Amino acid sequence: MSESLSPDMKSFEFRGNAKEWFGIWIVNLLLSIVTFGIYSAWAKVRTKKYFYNNTFVEGRNFDYHATGKQILIGRLIVIAAIVVFQVASVLTPFAALGLLVVLLIAFPFLIVRSLMFNARMSSFSNVRFGFDGTAGKAALLFLLYPILVAFTLYTTFPMLDRAIKRYTVNNHKLGQACFNVEVALGPFYKAFLIALVWIFVVGGVGVVLTGFSFMEFAMAMDDPGGDPAQFGAVMALFYLLIFAAFLPAGFLYQALTRNAVYNSATLEGGHRFASNVNPWMLLWIALSNTAVVICTLFLMLPWAQVRMARYLADHTGFAPGSSLDSFVTQQTGGAGAVGDAYTDLEGVDVGLPI
Amino acid sequence: MSAALRFAGHAFAAGSSRREPAMFEMRELATGNRVELLDEARNSICSANLNELRIDPPLGSAPRKLWFPDGTVFETEAHDAVETLTGETRGSLLHRYERFSPHLIAVIAACVLIGLIIWRFGLDLLVAAAIAATPVAVIEQIDVGTMETIDYTIAEPSGLSDADRARVLQIFDRLIGKLPADMQERHDFKLLFRDLPGMGPNAFALPGGTMVMTDAFVEDFGTPDIIASVLGHEIGHVVEEHGLQRLYRSLAIFVLITLLAGDVGPVLEDIVLEGQLLLSLSFDRDQERSADVFGMTLAHRANYDPSGLKTFFERLSEEYGDSTPQWMSTHPSNADRIRAIETFVEGL
Repeated sequence: MSESLSPDMKSFEFRGNAKEWFGIWIVNLLLSIVTFGIYSAWAKVRTKKYFYNNTFVEGRNFDYHATGKQILIGRLIVIAAIVVFQVASVLTPFAALGLLVVLLIAFPFLIVRSLMFNARMSSFSNVRFGFDGTAGKAALLFLLYPILVAFTLYTTFPMLDRAIKRYTVNNHKLGQACFNVEVALGPFYKAFLIALVWIFVVGGVGVVLTGFSFMEFAMAMDDPGGDPAQFGAVMALFYLLIFAAFLPAGFLYQALTRNAVYNSATLEGGHRFASNVNPWMLLWIALSNTAVVICTLFLMLPWAQVRMARYLADHTGFAPGSSLDSFVTQQTGGAGAVGDAYTDLEGVDVGLPI
Repeated sequence: MSAALRFAGHAFAAGSSRREPAMFEMRELATGNRVELLDEARNSICSANLNELRIDPPLGSAPRKLWFPDGTVFETEAHDAVETLTGETRGSLLHRYERFSPHLIAVIAACVLIGLIIWRFGLDLLVAAAIAATPVAVIEQIDVGTMETIDYTIAEPSGLSDADRARVLQIFDRLIGKLPADMQERHDFKLLFRDLPGMGPNAFALPGGTMVMTDAFVEDFGTPDIIASVLGHEIGHVVEEHGLQRLYRSLAIFVLITLLAGDVGPVLEDIVLEGQLLLSLSFDRDQERSADVFGMTLAHRANYDPSGLKTFFERLSEEYGDSTPQWMSTHPSNADRIRAIETFVEGL
C-alpha cells in the first residue's frame, strides 16, 4: 500500500517545528480573543504564511500574500450576510426562502471566487498561482451532480469526486504553466470500496462486541421518557459506533484518492508529482492527534498540526522536468476576498491540500 | 566607500521564479541610506533608498523577504542583519513575544482568563447591545412573521367558546395591569388562542409581546391560578427579552467560534460546536427558571396563587413524564422546577 517514492522523486520538505509554531499560535489566539475575533483575520494570514514559508520543494518555498485587512473585510461581509439571513428568516419566513434561492445561485460563484482568491494569494518561488475554472462547471459539480449522486444512493460518488478533483487541479496554474491530472476512475472506486468494507466490518464487529441492539436504540428514540441513564448510554454507544465506523473510512478514502491524484498530476514543463501516503498511518496520525489535543485541552494542537504537515510533506514527491527558474507570474485582475471568507466561515472544503 | 551593512541571499526578478545568489549592500550617504543588490560578478541587479523597501515582518525562522520598488525580491536567512536594518518594528516585537519560552505560560493563562471573562460577561454585553440596537418595528415584525408561518403551517383557529376566551383574557389583562407602566408601553402584549393539534397543552410567547395559548391548555388546566402562573411565566420571557437573547447569542457564538477556532480540523470543529450547543442549553434552562420566578411574582401581585405553577408541573409529570434528560434539554426537569416553586412560595 505504501511504496516508497521512486528515486527521481524528491520529497517536499516541511521545516517548521512545533515549539516555534506554538508561540505564534498561542499569541494569535490571545490577540484574537482580546479583539473579539477581529485579529483572527491577521492570525489566519500568519498561520498560512508560516506553513507555506516552511514548505520547501527543491530548496524553494511557498508564500501567502493576502493581508489581514482583505480577509477581515471579506469576513465582515459574509457575517453581515449571515446575520441578515437569520433575522430575515425570523421576520418573514417566506423571505428566508427567497434568500435561500439567492444563496443557491450565488454558491458556485462564491466557490470559484474562493479558489481564485486562494490561488492568487499563494505563490511558489516568487510566482503566483492562478485558477480559471468557470462558475458554470462549479454549479454542475457542487449543486446538480450531488443531487444526482444521491439518487443513485451514492454508488456514483467516486465519479463525482474524481470530476471535482479534475476540475480543481486542471484549472490551477503556476504562473502561465497549467496543472494537469489524468487519473482513471478505477482508483476512486477501489478507495470507495475499501472505505465501505471498513464501515461494515468495524460497524459489524462493534455491534457484536458492545452488544448494541438496534431494537434498544429504536425503542429509546421512540420513548425517551424511559430511564435517562439507559437512554444516555444507548445514544453514546450509537455516536461512538458512528465515529469509529465512518470517520476512519473517510480518512482512508481521502488518503487513497490523494495518492491517485498526485501520482498522475503534472505541471506544464515536464514536472511530475507523487504521493505515497500510507492510509493506515494517516488514520493513526489523525486519530492520535485528536486524542492528544483533547486530553491537553487543545494546547497540543500546534504540535498536531506540525506533525500532520510534516507527514504529508514527507510523502509528497516532485520530479522537475525542466528548470524551476522559468515560471512567470501571469498578470490578471485581482480577486476579492469575499468568496474566500464564505468558504472559510461555512467550512466548505475546496482547497487543494498540500 | 565601504558598505555599512552587507549580507547574502537570493534575488528573484519581479514575478519570476528565476533566482540567483546575490549580495545585499547598504551605504550611508548624506542623502539617506542607499541599498543595492549585487550578483556574483558584483554587477548591480537593482538599487533603491532604504525607505523605499518593503520588508516582510519576521515569522518564526522562515527566510526574510525584502521587496524592491521595481519588483525584485531579495530572500535571505540573515535574520540578525535584517533586524539591524529595520530596527525594532511592531513586527519584530510580535516576533519577540512569540518565541518559545516560559512567558508563554502567562499567555496561555491570559487566553483562558480572558476567554472565560468574555464568555461570562462579554457575550452578555454584545447581546444586550444588539438588542438595544434592534428597532421596535423589527421586533414587532418578528411576531407578525412568526404568527404567519405558524398559522400557515401547524395552527388551526381556536375552538374555544367565547366565554372561555373572555375568562382567560380577563386573567391576562389583570396580569398586564400589574406591570410597571413603562414595561406595558415597551411591549405590545396580546394573547391569541389557537388549536395546535399534536402540541398538547402549551403556551408560548414571541419577542414583541404576542402570546399564544393552545386550546388543549385551556381545556386541561382551566383553573385561574394555573393560567395566571403560566401566563406570568410567558410574560416574563417577553419582559426579560429571552427570545432575542437566544437569537443573538447563538449568532454571536457561532461567529466567534468559527473565527477563533480557525482551522482545527473537521473533527474538532464539530466537537467544539456540539459542546457549545450543550452549554447554551444551560443558558436556556436558566432563562426558564428566571421566567418561573417572574411569573410567580406577577401572579402573586395580581392576587392569584403562585403555587398554581406547582400544580401545573405535578400534573404534567403525571401525564407526560420528563421527556429528555436535563443535560440535553432546554427546560429544567419538572422535579427541579417544583422544588424551586416550593422554595419561592415559602419565601412569600
